[in-house]
Amino acid sequence: MKLQIIKNRKYYYLVSGLLFVVSVLAIIAWGLKPGLDFTGGSLLELTFTENRPQTAEIQKATESLSLGEVIVQPSGDKNIILKFQNVNEEQHQQILQAIENNFPGQARELRFESIGPVIGQELQKKAWMAIGVASLGIILYIAFAFRKVSKPVASWKYGVSAILALIHDIVIVIGLFAILGHFAGIEVDGLFITALLTIMGFSVHDTIVVFDRTRENLGKFYTGKFDEVVNDSVNQTLVRSINTSLTVLLVLLCLYLFGGVSTKNFTLALLVGIFVGTYSSIFVASCLIVDWNIWDKKLKK
Amino acid sequence: MPQNFLEKMLKPGQRGRLRWVLFGIAVLFLITAYIDIIGFKNPIANALDTGLSAIPVVSNLNIFPKLEKNISDNSSRLVWRNIKQIELSSYGLPFRLGLDLLGGAQLTYDADLSQISLAGKNDALAGAKDVIERRVNALGVSEPIVQTSLSGDKPRISVELAGVYDINSAIKMIGETPLLEFKEENPQAQQLTLEQQKQLDDMNLAVRKQAVDILQQIKNSGDFIALAKQYSEDPGSKDNGGLYEGVAKGQFVTEFDDVAFNKLKVGEVYSDLVKTTFGYHIIKLEGEQGTGDSRTVNVRHILFKTKTSADLGIAQEPEWINTKLSGKNLKKASVEYDQTALVPQVSLEFDNEGAQLFADITTRNVGKPVAIFLDGVAISIPKVNEAILGGQAVIQGNFTQDEAKKLAQRLNAGALPVPVKLVSQTTVGATLGQEAVQKSLFAGFLGLLAVALFMICFYRLPGLLSVIALLIYTVISLALFKVIHVTMTLAGITGFILSIGMAVDANILIFERLKEELRAGKDLMRAIDDGFGRAWTSIRDSNFSSLITCAVLFWFGSSIIRGFAFTLALGIAVSMFSAIIISRQLLLLVAKWKWAQNKWLYGVKKKI
Repeated sequence: MKLQIIKNRKYYYLVSGLLFVVSVLAIIAWGLKPGLDFTGGSLLELTFTENRPQTAEIQKATESLSLGEVIVQPSGDKNIILKFQNVNEEQHQQILQAIENNFPGQARELRFESIGPVIGQELQKKAWMAIGVASLGIILYIAFAFRKVSKPVASWKYGVSAILALIHDIVIVIGLFAILGHFAGIEVDGLFITALLTIMGFSVHDTIVVFDRTRENLGKFYTGKFDEVVNDSVNQTLVRSINTSLTVLLVLLCLYLFGGVSTKNFTLALLVGIFVGTYSSIFVASCLIVDWNIWDKKLKK
Repeated sequence: MPQNFLEKMLKPGQRGRLRWVLFGIAVLFLITAYIDIIGFKNPIANALDTGLSAIPVVSNLNIFPKLEKNISDNSSRLVWRNIKQIELSSYGLPFRLGLDLLGGAQLTYDADLSQISLAGKNDALAGAKDVIERRVNALGVSEPIVQTSLSGDKPRISVELAGVYDINSAIKMIGETPLLEFKEENPQAQQLTLEQQKQLDDMNLAVRKQAVDILQQIKNSGDFIALAKQYSEDPGSKDNGGLYEGVAKGQFVTEFDDVAFNKLKVGEVYSDLVKTTFGYHIIKLEGEQGTGDSRTVNVRHILFKTKTSADLGIAQEPEWINTKLSGKNLKKASVEYDQTALVPQVSLEFDNEGAQLFADITTRNVGKPVAIFLDGVAISIPKVNEAILGGQAVIQGNFTQDEAKKLAQRLNAGALPVPVKLVSQTTVGATLGQEAVQKSLFAGFLGLLAVALFMICFYRLPGLLSVIALLIYTVISLALFKVIHVTMTLAGITGFILSIGMAVDANILIFERLKEELRAGKDLMRAIDDGFGRAWTSIRDSNFSSLITCAVLFWFGSSIIRGFAFTLALGIAVSMFSAIIISRQLLLLVAKWKWAQNKWLYGVKKKI
């Protein structure tokens, strides 16, 4: 049984295009919700051994310390998270003292982070640079790996197609988190960028397998019908692509459902990203290269 | 017969080679499993311990090497113990756990290198790092990590304190590190002539003498209030006899506070002059209110201001520029008594580099003053009489004995060469980390189980073999993490578990190829060889791109992200090894067995 992927590519373009446009709109409308890593500020998480006080009570307790705006959020059953501006250690101790004064013996500090604004800015810059460098590295590597396959499509075109599929993946993941950020308040931090980069690596990994098979088949028997060769190649690697992603997705699913809370968002990003990445490798990257070939031919005429 | 046997052992045919390789893999597995188990508490190590201790021969032999440290002279030697004297769970390498698992703090400091010349920046930063490291080590933290980074023009020092219970004291301790700088005259600045300098010195001596006089008068039951009105140079209080009422701690400078709050009983006059940046004070405690943190005092003081060049009518200029000599060169500080005046002073001993620098500085500045700055304030400005080659200097800051002792103590704990400021701080409680680890490990185990089931169902015999290979892969990876001392963070554990999922990938690639070759009609052995061969280029290329992103993550990230990148990269590398060598050998071995010849076992349906 052979899937007619190339023939039906308009449907796949439609689905991809829809997801892509929705993501872009979400990003423009809401943007991502930056976490502490990027904005700077402080975060204090407390756990209460007995009754957890109301958020209003906590607000009152910290009022006298002139911290500016303090956001108080309950978390889980027993914890409370306080978010406020960047403070020094002395103020940190004052806050703890104020909590102790108001709720003696009930609270315990789970974690505390205080990040200066400069560091947050630096991280943003570094994030962009990292994505840029990684993309460049991948393009160069693919161009190098595919340098010997010049007929009928030049080797660098494989690289660019892979990157386009990659951009499609990343934008969809970012779009998802923009939506989640707006409706569920999920923030992005350094780990999110890590997830994006990992997805990039993995998605290209998948795409390369398809292109590699294409390269091999072109070498063996090129009958002149490029799109048929690509279609065959995709079919041959279909099972393999799906299975590989399936094993990784299985592991990630277990991690998401049963794993620790602090990496839940990270795991979610990876889950969605790898799923979309596999989809794009099979249905998008291959179609792109075929269309590029057709377009080239039209130009030559 | 023995000849043949030896030949077979040393020059094996293809089958023999296979056996050797498998034997090697088995040995590797056992060694790495052992490395995995020892070094931390787990039921297997405990069971092994009890088991081995019970065997009489093993438990009496002193065959386990242990490195023992002699506390008095800090030397270590190798001793041989028997198993009863060693607990396996404490023996050998432990896993190195990151902050988010152990709990602890991560602090980032900005170092201010603006006063240092371009050539000396690296040195100064390294010096600051050393000093902070010394301080942190004194806290008794196990394996603190202090790192510097000179990214762009922002010099940073980051400190990781794992498993520290009292973060506040740690921060305070680092924050209290004195800043010791040695400065020489700025040739650009307006120089005081020798005349003017002498004038200044004389004036200050006179001030001190006067203060001592008045103090003596008070001790002889002089009238504090009258003397204050007459002599005090503090305009805010002189008219009411130098009195301040309801003073809380922190309102005045530390030296003043220290005496007023800690050292006096009500009605008492402090027996010594108190020196602050303003000058000399005579302090009397008149009364107090409240207790503990809300305690306030009523104090009287008489201020004798020390003179500066401003008093001579000369405009103030940045007189001093930094030299290379600073707190990082300080070897030892101690209290000594000046021979003639019997005044306590702090003597400094420099290390070799410091001695050389000091010799240079004094040679350059013979006849001129050199300034010793402590915490940004000049505490002593001695004139250099001659070049000092012995690497010893003396701070004569008009100290009391207490002050001198305290200063020597602070300096001995480490003095910074440049000022540092805390810019970010992360504290994680230990319980949060432990829960996270348990959950993640459980989830990882489930994931591994799910993958194993999938592989066996889908790929049957090769699937089973790949699961075995996967197990070996896990054991080897964990051992490598221990040996390389990789810091395991939560993200790192996630990366490792992720790499388990990806490790199967190479196997899948090979098995799919295998199925194709079998379908094409090749016999089993040829199919295996060809399958592995053809799949290699695919595996290489696709894993390489993942490694590129790992490299970028490593450069880009904080230590937590680096942990993830490293475990992922290591996982990918080991998985390539395990898929290509271990899976292959296992497959080759099994393929020779008669019952394994059926193609169904490899997932190939027989076509009619």
